[in-house]
Amino acid sequence: MAKAIEVERLVKRYISFLRRGLFRREKVLVEALKGVSFDVNYGEVFGLLGPNGAGKTTTVKILSTLLIPDEGRARVAGFDVVESPSMVRKHIGVTLTVEKGFFWKLTGRENLSYFGMLRGLKGLQLRRRVDELMKMLGLDSLGASDKFYEEYSLGMRARLSLARALLTDPPVLILDEPTLGLDPSSARYIRKLLLKFAREDGKAILLTTHNMFEAEVICDRVAIIDKGRIIAIGTVQELKKAVARRVVINITASSSPIELKLLEAKFMENVTGEVSLRLDEQGKLRIRVVSKIGEEELHLSEVVKLLSSLGVRVNRVELEEPSLEDVFVALTHRRGSGVDQLDRRI
Amino acid sequence: MTSWIDVFRAQLFASVCWYRNNKWMIFSSFVWPYLMVGFLVGLGSLSGSIENYAERIGVSNPLFFLLSSTVIAMSSLLIVFSVTRFALENRWLGTLPYILLSPVRTTVIFIASGLPDAIITPTITVASIVPAALYLEGLAGGLKILAVLAIVLFGMMPLVGFSVLVGSALLFLREESNIADVIAPLVLLVSGIYYPLEILPEVLQLVGLALPTTYVVEAAKLISAYLTPETRLLLTPVYVLTALTFGYNLIASLVIDKAERAVKRKGVL
Repeated sequence: MAKAIEVERLVKRYISFLRRGLFRREKVLVEALKGVSFDVNYGEVFGLLGPNGAGKTTTVKILSTLLIPDEGRARVAGFDVVESPSMVRKHIGVTLTVEKGFFWKLTGRENLSYFGMLRGLKGLQLRRRVDELMKMLGLDSLGASDKFYEEYSLGMRARLSLARALLTDPPVLILDEPTLGLDPSSARYIRKLLLKFAREDGKAILLTTHNMFEAEVICDRVAIIDKGRIIAIGTVQELKKAVARRVVINITASSSPIELKLLEAKFMENVTGEVSLRLDEQGKLRIRVVSKIGEEELHLSEVVKLLSSLGVRVNRVELEEPSLEDVFVALTHRRGSGVDQLDRRI
Repeated sequence: MTSWIDVFRAQLFASVCWYRNNKWMIFSSFVWPYLMVGFLVGLGSLSGSIENYAERIGVSNPLFFLLSSTVIAMSSLLIVFSVTRFALENRWLGTLPYILLSPVRTTVIFIASGLPDAIITPTITVASIVPAALYLEGLAGGLKILAVLAIVLFGMMPLVGFSVLVGSALLFLREESNIADVIAPLVLLVSGIYYPLEILPEVLQLVGLALPTTYVVEAAKLISAYLTPETRLLLTPVYVLTALTFGYNLIASLVIDKAERAVKRKGVL
C-alpha cells in the first residue's frame, strides 16, 4: 500500500533579520530543515517531537502546501506538495494553532460552515456534516455550537480546530500540537478521537507535540527532530532501547527471613549487579537491581536463586524503562539543543 | 470540485453573518456619510457660503453633490480595502492559512473572497443616502443614486485587480501595519473627488489618470451634478474603466502566481 506521507531530504532556509541597534538590521540565514526524511502509513499515528525551533512547524507547513521547500521532495496522499498543491489540499485536514484561526464574531457553527464552503461542501451535505462534527467533537453537548468563537474556552477552540480539519473527512490529518494548553480531560478526549480515526477509519495522522506522555500513549512511531535534522525515528520502544544504557529491575518479595544488613551482605556476595534493599510499610522486601544492557537476565536469575535459597517468595518483578521524555532529553542533550543549553545556563 | 463560486459563496455567507452579528455596523454605515457631509459643510462655511461653493464647483444642488461625492469616495475606498485588507486581516486573525488551504488557486481565493465585501459595503453606503436623495431631488435624485451605485460597482472591476496587486505586495513585504490605510487617502487625493484633477501637480495628475477611481468619480459626478449628462462625456470614463479592468486584472493574474510562490518561499503564511 502506498504511503500517506513521504518526505525525502527536505531542506528549508529562511532569511531572518536580527536587530542591531536602532536602525541597523543584520541578515541571518536560518536553516530550518537540513535534509529531513520520514514516512507515515495509513492507519498510523506518527509523532514529530522536538524542542522549540527544531523544524516541526516548518515541516507541517511544507506538507500542508503553505511553504515551498528549497530542496527535497514531499508527497502527501500520493501527490507532490510543490507540483500538485491543490490535490494535496483536497486530501488533508490541518490544524496549525488551536488558540486562533477563526472569526471571533461568528459562532462555531457559522465558522465551520464557512470553512466547509471553502472546501466545496454545500446545502444539506454541509449542514449535516457540521451537525455531525459538532456532535462528534462534543461541542453540541458543551452548548458551544451557537456561541461566538470569542466566548470559546481553549478546549472548545481545540475541538473546533479539529472539527475543521475533519470537514471533508480527509484521509490524512496534519496536526500541529493539537492538545497544546488543554486541560487533561479535553486533551484525553482529543487523543481518544485521534486513536479512533487511525484505528477505525484508517486515517494517517501526523502530529507534532511537546507532550511526551501524549506521544507515548498514542503514537505508533515517533521521530525526534532537532536543529532541522531527524535524530531518531522508530517506535517508542525502539527509541527507548536505543538510548537505554542500563535496566532497572524492581522486585517485591515476602518479608525478609534475616536482618536486612545480613541480607545485604548476602546480595553483595551472590549478585553481580548494583543492588539496593529496603522494607516497605507492610514489611515487604523491595529489591532494586541496576544492570547494564544485556546483563539484566543474569542479574535477575542470581536474585531469584538467592531468594529461593533463603525461602523468600517473589511476589512481583518489574522492569523500569526510561520514559520517552528520558529518551528525548538524552538525544537532544547529546546534540546540545537550545533547550538543553538553557537548562545548563539555569 | 471546488470553484470560485464556492469561495465567493463562503465569503458572502461570512459577511452576511458578520453584519447579522454586528448590527451596529450597519447603523454606523448608514450614519457615516451624513456625519461626513455635516463636517464638510461646517468646515466649508468658515470660508464661504454653500451657495458660493455651488457656484465655484458648478453644480445645481451642492448638498446632494457633497453627499454623492462622499459616498463615491467611501465606496471606492471600501472596495480597495475589502481586497487589500483581506490577506492582512486574515493573517492577523490566523485564518489566512486555512483559507489558502481551500483546493483552488490562490488567485481565485484572493479575488473571489474580496468580491462579496466589495459589493456589500458600497451597496450599504450608497443605500444610506437614498432617503436624502429622494428628499433633496425627488425621484430623479433616487434614480441618480442608483446610477452612481451602478458606476461604482462597474468601477470595482479594475479596482479588484489593483487591490490584489497592493494586497500581494503587502503580504510579501510582511508589513503588519496596513499601508492600505495610507494608500487610500492618496488614491482619493489624486482621483479628484472634492476638487478637479487639473489643480494637482503634473506628476500627481498622471498617477490619477492611471487609477480607476478617477474615472469612477468622473462618471458618478457627471450623473450626480447634472440632470441629463451628455452621453459622450459619460462614455469616456466608461471606456477607460473597461480598458483599466483588462489591464489591472491581467497584470494581477500574471503577478499573483509569482507572488504566491514568493510568499510561500519566504514563509510569510
